[in-house]
Amino acid sequence: MLFAGLKYFVSEAVTGLWRGRRSTVLSVVTIAAALFVLGIFLAVTANLDALVARWGAAAELSVYLRDDVSLAERAEVQRALRGDPLVREVQLVTRDEALARFRRDFPDLAPAVSGPEAHPFPASFEARLAPEASGGDLVESLAVRLRGMRGVSDVRYDRLWLQRLQSIAALVGWGGALVGAVLALAAALTVTNVVRLALFSRRDEIQIMELVGAPLSFIKGPFVMEGILQGALGAILALGALGLAISLARGRLAAAAPGLIDANSIVGLPLATLVLVVVGGMAVGCLGALLAARRLG
Amino acid sequence: MIEIEGLSKLYGRDVFALEDFSMHVGKGEFVFLTGPSGAGKSTLLRILLCQEAPTTGRVAVGGRDITRLKPREVQTYRRTLGFVFQDFKLIPGKTVFENVMFALRILGVPDVQQRRRTFQVLKWVGLQHRANAYPLELSGGEQQRVSIARALVNEPTLVLADEPTGNLDPDLALEIMNLFREINSTGTTVLVATHDRELIRHVGHRAVTLDHGRLAIG
Repeated sequence: MLFAGLKYFVSEAVTGLWRGRRSTVLSVVTIAAALFVLGIFLAVTANLDALVARWGAAAELSVYLRDDVSLAERAEVQRALRGDPLVREVQLVTRDEALARFRRDFPDLAPAVSGPEAHPFPASFEARLAPEASGGDLVESLAVRLRGMRGVSDVRYDRLWLQRLQSIAALVGWGGALVGAVLALAAALTVTNVVRLALFSRRDEIQIMELVGAPLSFIKGPFVMEGILQGALGAILALGALGLAISLARGRLAAAAPGLIDANSIVGLPLATLVLVVVGGMAVGCLGALLAARRLG
Repeated sequence: MIEIEGLSKLYGRDVFALEDFSMHVGKGEFVFLTGPSGAGKSTLLRILLCQEAPTTGRVAVGGRDITRLKPREVQTYRRTLGFVFQDFKLIPGKTVFENVMFALRILGVPDVQQRRRTFQVLKWVGLQHRANAYPLELSGGEQQRVSIARALVNEPTLVLADEPTGNLDPDLALEIMNLFREINSTGTTVLVATHDRELIRHVGHRAVTLDHGRLAIG
């Protein structure tokens, strides 16, 4: 009975959607637009999160040494770094190595440091941190401790920068959720009006159904199913457009900044989110249709 | 089968469609409801179909007061009735077969039985060969026969008809009335509202006459 009822709802809904195909297209496109915008925000957030995670895993603590640091002081700093559980790996970069790195990374600027006078690059320790240390207060206290040691001129940690990136990702996420919610509401109202039009154009049919004693669920069912199908179609359309947009972004960004952005590092939405978008679209359609079918009792 | 006591239906402040109307229809009886236009025949049928609530009075069908039914109960009650209207009330987007079968579908009758019973009823009204046609492809008489088939398919104990021959020529009207007579001969109670006195005389049976919402002859 349940399966037969569902089959009836779907077949009636498909007929209804086809009969009112112009307004169906309108609401499907509206839902698709809402979900596409939401999907873009989700994709940007997912990529920023991935970027933060990737950079967080590679976060480094740079301890710059004074030019007059003694060997004993340098060894003391090295011990302090090696002895800390947050530090995974420590590498000494001598002044000459720092200069060589500068010349290699910025060949255009190399002539500026080729004179007879002493070059400005200090020796440093570069400490690679454990991924779980990223953004934590423990790193900050380690930095404070190192800054107080003899022979240390400065300590730099890209934590603030990462935190800012995380904040931006969160902001984009919340902004996306807000814009998505507003657009979803607009989409639901569009579905409401489209289903209301369908109810109006089929009012005689509904009256006949009521007269032969059709249960209200039997009368409402096909209309609610119409809303759900509109939502599902809109979501599928949105995901298709989103996939296209992501693949375009991969090509464009990789072409715009070769070497800096790896096309493969731009991720799409995970399967669970894709399913959620489709379910969300169906929920929006269902809500809109239920609002329209309220008057049926 | 139908017990109506002191029924009144007031529209606005002082327009009585029905006023202190009482009537009894026995089980298996065939009764005509007649009277001029505006006499209250259609209002009475609408009340019997729970499309309208009376202002005062009691209406019982099969021993059950139908004036205080909840929406869900109204639908259950309607499934025990058959109705036929002057304008046929067929769903234009469904075929003849689907229109008739719909009344069985909502009862949850298994698919095979739905089809068998629908075919039987269509055969009974002589329209099995038009099963796949759409209502608008049929003549008025054929559409009314489909409507009668739909009213009968769920084997109701009571069939209500509001001017079922109003859109038909006299020969077709008689043909439709013969169908109602046949329905009645199986023990089904039939209440037909019509203003066509000639038809009533021809068919026979008891006639209840309404005038200005009151019982004139019963």
